[in-house]
Amino acid sequence: MFRNYFKIAWRNLWNNKLFSLINVISLAIGLSASFVIGMMVYYDFTFDKFHTDGDRIYRVTTQFNDPEGDYFSSGIPFPLVDAVKNEVSGLETAAFFHQFTSVNVKPTGTKDLFKQQDFVVFTDQGYFDLFDYYWLAGSAQKTLSQPNEVVLTEARAKLYFPNLSPSQVMGKTLNYNDSIPAVVTGVVANFAERSDLVFQEFLSLDTASQTNIHHQISGNNWYGVYNSSQLWIKIEKGTLLNNFQAQLDDIAGKHQMEEDLKFGSSREFYSQPLNNLHFNSELGIYDPDKAVADKDVLTMLGLVAMFLLLLGCANFINLNTAQASKRAKEIGIRKTLGSSKGQLIFQFLGETFLLTLIAGAVSIILSMWLIRIFEDFIADGIDISLLMNPVILLSIGTLLVIVTIAAGFYPGIVLSKFNPVRVLKGKHTEAGGKNQLRKFLTVFQFTIAFVFIISTFLVGKQIGFLINKDMGFKTESVAFIETPHYVSSLADQELLSQKLANLSQLKKVSLGGQSPASFDQSATAFVSNYDGIERETSVRLLFGDTEYLDLYEIPLLAGRKPLNDTIKEVVINTKALEKMGFDDPNEAVNQTVTSGGVPYLITGVMADFNQGSLRKEIEPMAFVGDMWRSFSSAFQVIHFNISTENYEDLTTTLADVESMYKEVYPNEPIDLKFMDETILTFYKKEQSMSKLLNWAMGLSVLISCLGLLGLVIYTTERRVKEIGIRKVLGASIVQINTLLCKDFVILIFIAFVIAIPIAYWALDNWLQDFANRTELSWWIFAGSGIAMILLALIIMSIRTIATAMADPVKSLRTE
Amino acid sequence: MIKISNLEKYYKTEEVQTIALNKLSFEIKEGEFAAIMGPSGCGKSTLLNILGLLDDPDGGSYLFNGIEVAGYNERKRAQLRKHNIGFVFQSFNLIDELSVFENVELPLIYTGVKTAERKERVHQVLEKMGIMHRRKHFPQQLSGGQQQRVAVARAVVNNPKLILADEPTGNLDSSNGNEVMDLLTELNEAGTTIIMVTHSEHDAKFSHRIIRMLDGQKVTENVLV
Ligand SMILES: Nc1ncnc2c1ncn2[C@@H]1O[C@H](COP(=O)(O)OP(=O)(O)O)[C@@H](O)[C@H]1O
Ligand SMILES: [Mg+2]
Repeated sequence: MFRNYFKIAWRNLWNNKLFSLINVISLAIGLSASFVIGMMVYYDFTFDKFHTDGDRIYRVTTQFNDPEGDYFSSGIPFPLVDAVKNEVSGLETAAFFHQFTSVNVKPTGTKDLFKQQDFVVFTDQGYFDLFDYYWLAGSAQKTLSQPNEVVLTEARAKLYFPNLSPSQVMGKTLNYNDSIPAVVTGVVANFAERSDLVFQEFLSLDTASQTNIHHQISGNNWYGVYNSSQLWIKIEKGTLLNNFQAQLDDIAGKHQMEEDLKFGSSREFYSQPLNNLHFNSELGIYDPDKAVADKDVLTMLGLVAMFLLLLGCANFINLNTAQASKRAKEIGIRKTLGSSKGQLIFQFLGETFLLTLIAGAVSIILSMWLIRIFEDFIADGIDISLLMNPVILLSIGTLLVIVTIAAGFYPGIVLSKFNPVRVLKGKHTEAGGKNQLRKFLTVFQFTIAFVFIISTFLVGKQIGFLINKDMGFKTESVAFIETPHYVSSLADQELLSQKLANLSQLKKVSLGGQSPASFDQSATAFVSNYDGIERETSVRLLFGDTEYLDLYEIPLLAGRKPLNDTIKEVVINTKALEKMGFDDPNEAVNQTVTSGGVPYLITGVMADFNQGSLRKEIEPMAFVGDMWRSFSSAFQVIHFNISTENYEDLTTTLADVESMYKEVYPNEPIDLKFMDETILTFYKKEQSMSKLLNWAMGLSVLISCLGLLGLVIYTTERRVKEIGIRKVLGASIVQINTLLCKDFVILIFIAFVIAIPIAYWALDNWLQDFANRTELSWWIFAGSGIAMILLALIIMSIRTIATAMADPVKSLRTE
Repeated sequence: MIKISNLEKYYKTEEVQTIALNKLSFEIKEGEFAAIMGPSGCGKSTLLNILGLLDDPDGGSYLFNGIEVAGYNERKRAQLRKHNIGFVFQSFNLIDELSVFENVELPLIYTGVKTAERKERVHQVLEKMGIMHRRKHFPQQLSGGQQQRVAVARAVVNNPKLILADEPTGNLDSSNGNEVMDLLTELNEAGTTIIMVTHSEHDAKFSHRIIRMLDGQKVTENVLV
């Protein structure tokens, strides 16, 4: 019985090659998108699933509630660690660690120096009590109890001591930052499964007192919160998180900062579940090179995949119901011979499944290619081999069955309803009666296609708008070098900047902090007292020497620049001016504000400019000298303005710059960026969204047009005789073509009319996230409409014109 | 075996109502070979469809083996039909996408016969009909006479008690037509009841009894044997 079904199914597919091809392509596109997105979802949801009692593990984080917006830190103030360990009940374990970033490591007895190693932490026994590691050498008992001890992962042990086994590595010494020796007292296996806990070197906590960050992990400072100070806890079995959280709230209440409360801010501690670690972009993950999974992006991708699948199913339903009458005879005969409706539906579903299976096989090949196209969205760990994972395989199987039912059930019902008596009489029950549904599905498909087209154009327009909009400062011919300040001193930076100032091709050179628009930002709070009202304003800080504002051509609206690099003088922008309560730039000049109790004189007011992505509003900002020099210098970047005209000059200039750099920092690679290129990087997210939309548009248009082509082929075939008669009676090719295309164009137009408000609503929503928005111009809509209708006309004409030109006598004779 | 009384069937199209069967009554005994004749449009096919349980009468009674089947639902009719009735049509009605073997096999599939037995039975009838060598061909590759023989083979493969034939020779030349009539006669002699609609007096002579119809009613009956 199955063989018989299979045979007829196969022959049907084979005999209708074109329609089968259309169906396979349409379904394969949706399926492959679903496969890839399914893999991404699976990948992101299988991080850190292997820890014992993972559902009881939380990270304690800090939340600052501020009238100007909440701020989150993944770290905690150091004294909280002891408070939690000593005062809180219901905890099984608490683990504290502090990240030690960019350290140079030298295994003693070798010539190797490993620079800027990441994933080094100071921690203690608690860490290994909380997270299960497999010990290749040493043991979790009484580990890291003494200063100058270190536990390595197998990967790090291999890196530092390539030829030694884990037990041979025991007792070896590593030298950190040329000053701190540590003896290897353990080697643990790296986690075999996906994890965001990426640490590789565990120094004993007591070692930290020998480093330059000792003040971050000692003392009783409740106010300083460092992102690198991390506290993880495991609550006792059977206790509720609420119980722990209530005690945390108590502690937070006891240690609020008076100063903060006065300005309406407060601080809380928040327990972040382990399974949220991979998804919380506010709190972040430990590997700076990896992106936090974004549930919104996953949802968006999922929607795209779902729409593509629906489009494919719609094609299938349309083409199969349209062609149903071709199979009427077969069905009539089967019914006469005793087949029940159920059997027929089942048979047809079987055929659909066969086709879906073929589409599924095609999709696997397509998926490999899709993975490459969407690499911006796809984590590195995802590749086609994930498809062999049993969970994924099962999901794929389920998806194929769902698609089969979605696509095949309705056509199956239509077919099974044929009345054998009428069919066998030759009176083909016209499946055209179900035309309503086909019209509906066609409108549905083109509505989706239109929404994608309009969105693609608008998102493209918005990105162009963002990139081309004036930032408010000079961006062309400006470059900057991020100096290796972590290994050098301010004197080196000053030396290099003097050397560069002597280069004739550079117009201006300035030593300062980050560029006017950057991801890296420092901020402080200025307290102003104007008109008798005390106000606290948080401001972004822009550090620079006296050349900085001139180099970036940032105009002053009033007053003057600070006199030198270290004087306690500031220039504020207009936004800060308003926040501080001044009505006019001139009012602000010569007023005093304080930061941490230190007075600063406002010497001038600068014009507002954009400080990063134009997605964001301009924030209050203050230009200052190296205001924290005594503590830690912010002058880490050297900016310069290149005055060359042509490309050859530019290359030689850059070569000169690099050679000077090498004179000062012979061992460090140069990190030089151009301002205009840096600005482009602000829009990475928008760019990849635009890329995704381009593809979604292309594919949805492709599927819809394939479906349209199928329907046109079907209608022209059906109307061959009518066309013949019309031609005999004198109709022109154009008239016939119009006749054949008219109905479809009407449907596409209806889809356009439906798509306009949907696209408008969605895009208007999307644009709301941007402080700077392009217009939702009417011509984007009109252009999309015209383009799509033209494309549809071209596709239809391929077929209709051929039919219209065919010899009418032939078509009449065959009937 | 078959007893119909006051059988009625109407067709409604927009404004006109056609009476296809008008209080038609007759009886057919097991083992009989009956021919139904009459001008085009007098209701012969309608009658055959109702007798074959493909269609439902609008009035009257239809006893099939003593069971009242008028008013049976589609599922029950299909059940009864596939075990008891075989059809032969004027236009053969073979499935073009299936080979000769597969076409003949179909009724056995629907009655749940096992693969091995199906093969054997299909081969038996194909041999009997002289089309064994054509079993792998598709309907389009056969002549009309051959196609009708396949159709007959398909009608009898299930050993039905009743065969309904609607103008089985209508599309055949006289020599092919005679062959089909011989086949039917042979089946009848082996015990199968046959009801055949025909326009040809020649073919009608093969039967035991001719029922003549006009406007949905029986006009005469000639008993030939
Ligand atoms: N499906 C139908 N719809 C409407 N009228 C029908 C239908 N089938 C048959 N008829 C009408 O019923 C009458 C009997 O038809 P039919 O049984 O096919 O006659 P015959 O087979 O004797 O030529 C005719 O008038 C025909 O037009
Ligand atoms: Mg007839």
